[in-house]
Amino acid sequence: MLSMRNITKIYRTSLIETHALSNFQFEVEAGEFVSVMGPSGSGKTTFLNIAGLLDTFDEGIYELGGEDVSTLSDAAMSRVRNEKIGFIFQSFNLIPDLDVFDNVDVPLRYRGMPRKQRKSAIERALDTVGLSARLRHYPAQLSGGQQQRVAVARALVGQPGLILADEPTGNLDSAMAREIIDLLEQINDAGTTVVMVTHDQEMANRAARQIFLLDGRVIDIRNEEAKPLFDPRRISPQITAPGMA
Amino acid sequence: MLLYNLRLSWTSLRRNPALSLLTVTAIGLGIAVASSFTTIYYLMAADPLPHKSDTVRYVRLDGWDPDRSFSSDHPGRPPEQLTYRDAVAIAASDIPTHTTPTFHGDLFVYPEDPNLRPFELAVRLCQRGFFPIFEVPFAYGAPWDARADAATERVVVIDHDTNQRLFGGEDSVGRHIKLGTGVFTVVGVLEPWRPVVKFFDTLNDDTGPPEAAYIPFMHAREMQIATDGNIQGWKGDSGETYEDLVASETTWIQVWAQIDNADQEARYQAFLDGYTDGQRKLSRFGRPNNNWIQPMREWHVEQGVVPPEARSMVIISLLFLAVCSINLIGLLLGKFLARAPEVGVRRALGASRRAIFLQHIVECQLLGALGGLLGLALSVGSLRVISDMFLDDTVLFLDANMIATGIALALASGLIAGVYPAWRVCTVAPAIHLKAQ
Repeated sequence: MLSMRNITKIYRTSLIETHALSNFQFEVEAGEFVSVMGPSGSGKTTFLNIAGLLDTFDEGIYELGGEDVSTLSDAAMSRVRNEKIGFIFQSFNLIPDLDVFDNVDVPLRYRGMPRKQRKSAIERALDTVGLSARLRHYPAQLSGGQQQRVAVARALVGQPGLILADEPTGNLDSAMAREIIDLLEQINDAGTTVVMVTHDQEMANRAARQIFLLDGRVIDIRNEEAKPLFDPRRISPQITAPGMA
Repeated sequence: MLLYNLRLSWTSLRRNPALSLLTVTAIGLGIAVASSFTTIYYLMAADPLPHKSDTVRYVRLDGWDPDRSFSSDHPGRPPEQLTYRDAVAIAASDIPTHTTPTFHGDLFVYPEDPNLRPFELAVRLCQRGFFPIFEVPFAYGAPWDARADAATERVVVIDHDTNQRLFGGEDSVGRHIKLGTGVFTVVGVLEPWRPVVKFFDTLNDDTGPPEAAYIPFMHAREMQIATDGNIQGWKGDSGETYEDLVASETTWIQVWAQIDNADQEARYQAFLDGYTDGQRKLSRFGRPNNNWIQPMREWHVEQGVVPPEARSMVIISLLFLAVCSINLIGLLLGKFLARAPEVGVRRALGASRRAIFLQHIVECQLLGALGGLLGLALSVGSLRVISDMFLDDTVLFLDANMIATGIALALASGLIAGVYPAWRVCTVAPAIHLKAQ
């Protein structure tokens, strides 16, 4: 589903160069639920932006669904984002001027889908997240959990193969966070690949596979047992550095 | 997608009504100024007889001073008007399809109704050919017949307002009017007719209204009707009396002819040259033949019917509109960049740069269209004021062409104001704003 090989991303200013990702290796199989953890500055967000074709990289190869997306034009990248990827953000990122229906409608608009099809897809997505009764509510009229469920519906509505979630429970209380993670599990059970960046170990444990990032590199743990907190020294015997094995 | 973008644009305008109002007003003011001056220019420069103006000719004979040309700046140009006897002589030709000598005078009207006081009326003296040449529109009746031109039959064609004033607007054909010293029978009543430029007499108050009454030219001498227009002479022989003027080399009559084809033109040119050759034998026309059958539009250009100031004002008003648009660039840039987080979300959800660019261009076009509507409404008012102040009549108006031009200018100014901000916002890196929202 997702394959990154030797990805390097360097942020440059006139004074310094910051290696956000260095020879980054990462594979996700179709249907997987992977959580990505790591301390601040470890490259999680950079990874997610590159995975979502929202940012470019300096070196390496990125294949999505078997297609090399490194050299696509802006229009082609936009089409890939629209059709193959669904995004869920920490701060929901709903458009405040649009009601629930219209927010979920946004990706379908850029797909040029006919009105009837859009309507039924939106209703189906909102039904999945349990918000069918809130079609004409505006984001400001919803709780945080409801807003994130709208964002999930928006990510789902185009039936993408890959969901990229950036700390989807970061702004929610624990009960709402569990609701959202339950939803993601449901989505994954239905066959959609989910990659979730999180700081929350409990949420990370719900994923089938956990990835740890440190200094722009992947530390992959195919864990049977849950790891309560990230501690590189503690997990050192199980470290595999992809590409070096 | 256009409707979707329009909906988003409308939502955006409503989100910040004060800023939207400011933007629309700026474009509106620019459009009001630009469309007002463009309309004035357009109406003044418009061909009054677009389907036949080439056939309408202004006749000029060069009987000026043998030692000095009529115009020192343009020595080749013949005088602008004709003497009475030359005008009468050449207007007798049956070569043109229609022809008329003409000048403008004033006569008093003595109404039949004792409650109405006598009043002065602007009168045009002409032959019947005047009406078909200039396609004067009749509400009732028709031009007088050839007998009236020849036999000084006392007939009159009156305009719409005079018919309203004297006869309450009814069909007054056959009714009588005492004009000056004579009683005239009404043979025709005009429809309301107010060309912006008095294109049949640009020498005298070329933006004034047409005359209120039209009587056969031959009454001029009989009733000794003086011209109210320009008189030009070189010999100083206009004398004291009307007969002195009629017999003099003073020019004060204009002659028009409708020439429909080249053969007619050649024959008419030969006729005019023959006439002046003949007059030369009578010790007149001391200059070489220089007789013109000038197309109406050329005559108008020579006369400066469209003053250079009108052209300058159009350019200045368009520059003003451009300045309004350019000033909006900063405003729109701030507005659009403030929306970068939303743009980031849209980009993440599949909007291409092109889609974002178009969304913002549509918003600019909506602003432009609203500004255009405001500007056109303002220019309707300003044209009315300019008409009433300078033309004594409401003759300046926005026709379909000028409305379309106003809208096009408004959309163009929206585009000028919006292209750069729209380009900037569509090139914003989406990732930066997704985390920060």
